[in-house]
Amino acid sequence: MKFSPSLQDLIDALRCLPSVGPKSAQRMTLHLLERDRDGALALATALRHAVEKVGHCRLCRNFTELEICELCSDPKRDATVMCVVETPADVLAIEQSGSFRGLYFVLMGHLSPIDGVGPAEIGLEDLQQRVIDEGVAEVILATNPTVEGEATAYYVADMLQPLGVGVSRIAHGVPLGGELEYVDGSTLAHALSGRRLVD
Amino acid sequence: MRVNLQPAYVIHSRPYRDTSVILEVFTAEYGRISLVARGTRRQTRRGSKAALLQPFFPLLLSFFGRAELKTLSAIEPVKGMPALRGERLFSGLYMNELLVRLLHRNDAHPALFSAYDCALKALAGIATVDTVLRSFEITLLDELGYGLNLSLDGASGERVNEASHYHYDPELGLVAGSGASGRPAATYSGADLLAMESGEFEGPVRLPAKLLLREVLAAHLGDMPLHSRELFRLKRALSSKRSDAPQS
Repeated sequence: MKFSPSLQDLIDALRCLPSVGPKSAQRMTLHLLERDRDGALALATALRHAVEKVGHCRLCRNFTELEICELCSDPKRDATVMCVVETPADVLAIEQSGSFRGLYFVLMGHLSPIDGVGPAEIGLEDLQQRVIDEGVAEVILATNPTVEGEATAYYVADMLQPLGVGVSRIAHGVPLGGELEYVDGSTLAHALSGRRLVD
Repeated sequence: MRVNLQPAYVIHSRPYRDTSVILEVFTAEYGRISLVARGTRRQTRRGSKAALLQPFFPLLLSFFGRAELKTLSAIEPVKGMPALRGERLFSGLYMNELLVRLLHRNDAHPALFSAYDCALKALAGIATVDTVLRSFEITLLDELGYGLNLSLDGASGERVNEASHYHYDPELGLVAGSGASGRPAATYSGADLLAMESGEFEGPVRLPAKLLLREVLAAHLGDMPLHSRELFRLKRALSSKRSDAPQS
């Protein structure tokens, strides 16, 4: 049996979502049309609205509907500390920890030559300009502790240090509730080399 | 096919589904292969396996599967390899990009694997970056069958003369003179070529060796530039802008 063209279009369109294959797309389509037409309309409106309205913050590059996002324009945030992260999800994670009151810069990726991502793609010039313009005193590099994240952190540190900005890297170590026995060697090595005096 | 504890390095990984990754790995006996590692991004009480599956760490991997994409079944870390830091990380990324761009999947290159292994260990130590990279590039070309003969004139078959100058011809190799009319080519002195032949890539030979290998690799890489090289170039631009003294 062949689906009508509009139905097939919808199935094909849904496959743009990550980890949605032909079968899942078909199931979603049939569900929307059979049982939840209101939901489908709401989804369509929300999608259109988000795609048309949401852009990148001029300052931190995070997603926002405004020119400058709420975080960047919040006067209560400490504008002398800036945290550099890879993705908007990282901003959420750090915000939820409630331990950081400064501003963010979202790279939207990391340096990865094999994927063709270079310094220009992750907006490092904007970062440099912003650090100069806003007189940031400390930049915290919170890129992921992967090889690409480390390479990115090194590149950014090398770019910012001559400007006289303090550059720090988040600590790596044993997770809370973890057990040393099961922690891998390189994490443990990081934890040991980054040890602190007990105070 | 089931393979147990194969010496390997992860070259590249990309996320797949919610908790899995697809890895590009370089193995000793099976060459470059793709593996899917299921559930590695999931955090368990025993920690996440993702920490082990990072590039530049020697691993023993077990995998199975008949299709092109194999499934990873076990990971054992091999002891004793300090992490690459700073600019040496870029050199490692450069080698990885060369491997991905030039190696075909499932072509075994045991000699290249040991060269890669040695190069990484040298980079993690105090060896000069240029020497490590040039020797690796030369082994890579040899292994791919594009071996570069540094001591023979490709056109006349004579031994390279210290006093003469040579240019690189993609078909013939190194040829005396400055190349065909119309296209001015870079030339290399015979003395430099003989020094490279004996494994000397530093001092006065550093720049010619770098340019020659860049030219040779470019002939095999095609039109798309190497992105990791961009990383070095931009970084150099940054540092020369701030110090005004050109450095390379």
